[in-house]
Amino acid sequence: MSEWTPAVLSTAEAGRHRCDLCPHRCRLGPGQVGYCQVRRGAEAGLETLTFASSVEHLDAVERKPLYHWHPGRRVLTLAAPGCSFRCDYCINFRISQYGRPGGQDWDATPVDPAAAARKVADTGAAGIALSYTEPSLAIELTLALAATGTPVVWKSNGYLTPEALALAAPAVAALNIDLKAVHDDDHRRLTGGEVAPVLAAIAGFRAAGAWVEVSTPLIPGFNDHPDQVAAIAAAVAAIDPAMPWHLLRFSPAYRMTDRDPTSPTALEDAAAIGRAAGLHYVYVERALGPAGRETRCPGCAAVVVRRDIWSAEPPLLHAGRCPECRTRIAGVWGNDDRASVR
Amino acid sequence: MTEHRYVESLPDLISPDEYADHPDGALVRLRITVTGNGVEVLGDAMRPEHVEALLAAAGLRNIQQMLCG
Repeated sequence: MSEWTPAVLSTAEAGRHRCDLCPHRCRLGPGQVGYCQVRRGAEAGLETLTFASSVEHLDAVERKPLYHWHPGRRVLTLAAPGCSFRCDYCINFRISQYGRPGGQDWDATPVDPAAAARKVADTGAAGIALSYTEPSLAIELTLALAATGTPVVWKSNGYLTPEALALAAPAVAALNIDLKAVHDDDHRRLTGGEVAPVLAAIAGFRAAGAWVEVSTPLIPGFNDHPDQVAAIAAAVAAIDPAMPWHLLRFSPAYRMTDRDPTSPTALEDAAAIGRAAGLHYVYVERALGPAGRETRCPGCAAVVVRRDIWSAEPPLLHAGRCPECRTRIAGVWGNDDRASVR
Repeated sequence: MTEHRYVESLPDLISPDEYADHPDGALVRLRITVTGNGVEVLGDAMRPEHVEALLAAAGLRNIQQMLCG
């Protein structure tokens, strides 16, 4: 296991330190471990296990999924242990649920941010991704990686305090944030956390200029009723209808093996609901074939980006605009197009 | 005890075209290859627990798997 290193975002409180990273706001005495299992109290503040990674994968940015941020490029993916949620369906539970029942010990080694940045440069990758587990728990690592000048992207649950959001937003270039439900009871039942901070994170990162895409796992019997899907789509559209929305097929796993996988029909129906809610870009990675992955211009419906599973053809864009009708396609399409996000 | 190692990629053995034909997610597919170092078993399933149970029953203690995200 990796080493405990100094952590940010704490407030001293009568012999303990309150962790201000996630809304659980654990109050930790020396040696006490928080809900996430990867932050603990120390004599002077907090410590974290997350300045480390047990994987170093070069994989497609489409896997996160991020479809409108440097499509077709690879990212160097790192993963530190732990999660601030305890989602019943998590396929990555062995590493995300580190320290909890079902989680497992895993070997992680400290990350050298300068070496990681060099690897990105040497391989032509677009940046460094923190994924597989909850990257916001690795905020110290994120800040150090961003300080090298290398773009950092997150695949996150969005469960951050306002203080953590303010600290992270300038350091994260792009995120995919999960929105699993919009009714608080549902969200708490699945994840162990309330939904309001997640919605605030989606809006906050977007307002701060990070590129944000949203994912919703469509879970039969949990959030797949048309009214629930419409409510989630409306919540995304209310923040920004140009934020891509990914509908994920649920695979029965971990503590949620009592139901079937999501049907292609359910995904197709949910995509239609998303478009009816005004979302410009709705994606289904596999179940609907290539049509589910392609980007169509919201102005004229021309196909402007074609994708395979975990890869993309060069975008058919001119300076971030549709070549047919000149409508701006929201996204970060290349080094020259970063301004097109704003 | 089974050791899980997380790798960048593994081949798919199940196509998205097959999802609709298996609504209960019971499809499991295995590919067994004799290599210079022994026998390699590649598994794919709509329910990860199914393929893990099969590999464990076969006595395989080192499992490579992909992660989500």
